[in-house]
Amino acid sequence: MNLVVPPRPKYREARYAYATVLPVVLLVALFTLYPIGFAVVTSLREVVLYKPESTPFVGLKNYVDVIRSEFFTSAWGHTLTFAAGAVPFATVLGFGIAHLLNARTRMASFLNVTILLPWAIPTVISGIIWAWIFNSSYGAFNGALYSLGVIERYVPWLSRPTTALLSVLFAHVWKEVPLTSILYLAALQAIPDELFDAARADGAGALAALRHITIPLLIPTTLIIVVYETMVAIVTFDLLYVMTGGGPGGATSLISYFVYNSMFTSYNFGQGAALAVLLAASLVVFIVIYLRLLRSEELYRE
Amino acid sequence: MSPRRRRWGNLVVTLLGLVVAAYILAPFAWVALSSIQPEKELFRVPPHWFPRIVTADNYRFIFTGKFPAGYQETGLLRGRISEKARDALPALRNSTIVALTVALANLIFGTIAAYTFARVRFRGANPLYVFILASRLLPPMAVAIPYYLIINRLGLLDRYSALILIHSTFTLPFTVWFLTIYFRRVPPDIEEAAMVDGCTRLQALLRIVAPVAAPALAATAAFAFMFSYNDFPFALFVTATIRSQTIPVIVSVTAVNPDVSFGVVAVAVVLTMIPPVAFAMVFRNYITRGLIAVTTTR
Repeated sequence: MNLVVPPRPKYREARYAYATVLPVVLLVALFTLYPIGFAVVTSLREVVLYKPESTPFVGLKNYVDVIRSEFFTSAWGHTLTFAAGAVPFATVLGFGIAHLLNARTRMASFLNVTILLPWAIPTVISGIIWAWIFNSSYGAFNGALYSLGVIERYVPWLSRPTTALLSVLFAHVWKEVPLTSILYLAALQAIPDELFDAARADGAGALAALRHITIPLLIPTTLIIVVYETMVAIVTFDLLYVMTGGGPGGATSLISYFVYNSMFTSYNFGQGAALAVLLAASLVVFIVIYLRLLRSEELYRE
Repeated sequence: MSPRRRRWGNLVVTLLGLVVAAYILAPFAWVALSSIQPEKELFRVPPHWFPRIVTADNYRFIFTGKFPAGYQETGLLRGRISEKARDALPALRNSTIVALTVALANLIFGTIAAYTFARVRFRGANPLYVFILASRLLPPMAVAIPYYLIINRLGLLDRYSALILIHSTFTLPFTVWFLTIYFRRVPPDIEEAAMVDGCTRLQALLRIVAPVAAPALAATAAFAFMFSYNDFPFALFVTATIRSQTIPVIVSVTAVNPDVSFGVVAVAVVLTMIPPVAFAMVFRNYITRGLIAVTTTR
């Protein structure tokens, strides 16, 4: 405490504070409050392209129509199927790769560099590459299976509902695995070595250590990854745009792609806005769960 | 563990590591190999896993516009559609300009705001901080049309500034949050001493805190750059022509056309990957730490 210097004038400090946070606050406000207000207001009116003059208030009609639509239900169905495949796949693979990254070998330091690559490139780019790998006339996947004698002629993987969804899922997991691996790696490195030393001294093998030390201690990280990856599956759009365009027959029209498609092809903006509000609301549910998990997670506390 | 078992263990780890490396790198290899082969070779059944004919024609086409030999066979239509892929170079320029500006905007506005949240007590600080962070929770598809309308109203459709504004909106919350946490960990003693000596807050930030926080600043700049460079949906909605279209947009709209030449798009894909991959390599350590922080800290 320096008694000679008088305290700085409070108001000048406050003026500086507002001036410095204002640019960020204004920008965020413009691109947050307006879209929310717009979506809510539009969703309560009938707004269609061919009648721009009349937008009567229709209450919750758009919401009812949207929820009743079988396309909406099937889009959520596809999304949940997709998430049910992608989330465990990305989680388990990440868990395994994290152990490889954590090994003290030359291989591990090489992997630590390469693992970031799928994460670093634009999602649409990874989608294009995978769409080519699964391509029916030039695909590497077909080529490999053909060379091995598994198939007799090339298969149009992206034109069949089930294999199309699986192909997208494969590309999605490839893109997500860097993140899950790195999160698991961080959690692994946070486990004190003494625990493993003690287990070894007690005669426990590698499997016992995995079962009784690693897996229990990684449960919080696993929960975080599972919820986070579920949210990522819900907002998946880029891959679908370049790989399947939602097809064939809507089989890969996951909820975000479905919302995009409804807005830009049906030109029913009222329903599109209702969809947007429902999408945002469903994401909020997941985020609340996510934040709860983070709060219960002592390991990463600041 | 006996030395012998350990050696076996190391061998297994190395073999599994090779499998993972192949899984990660194979797609990159496939597209790189596609870019250096003539179109006809790509359609060979089964493919030549090691190219027999290597050519720079596809690259020459992108850079000079000279059609690769063999285009006459595949038809004029294919040629004309592939012509669009030549927009890759101006699109790369657009992407780089936009992404660098977004990174710079984050460094300036994000750093200053974060420093205020970390050090200055003022009325409304907490609600504003929470508001900024919570804004990130909106799913892109839910805001697509309103964003379009805002940009249209501002008269910024098909301009760099539209992308810069939107990408900044998406990256600044993260930057502010990340740096606020970081600055709070820096001991305030030196700044306070400097301010007693007549230094202003801004001078304290620039001269004392910024040099100390350089790694964190690098990480946020890298994240902002990568987000902006990689963004697809917003770039798709608010751009219209090559005046502002970014590389993900050009490559996607070209690639989804079934009549396009694979070899030519493969060149565009390879070129697109160079800047983010270089960024990821240079900032690898910061990015890894940042990724962990992004998903696991409140």
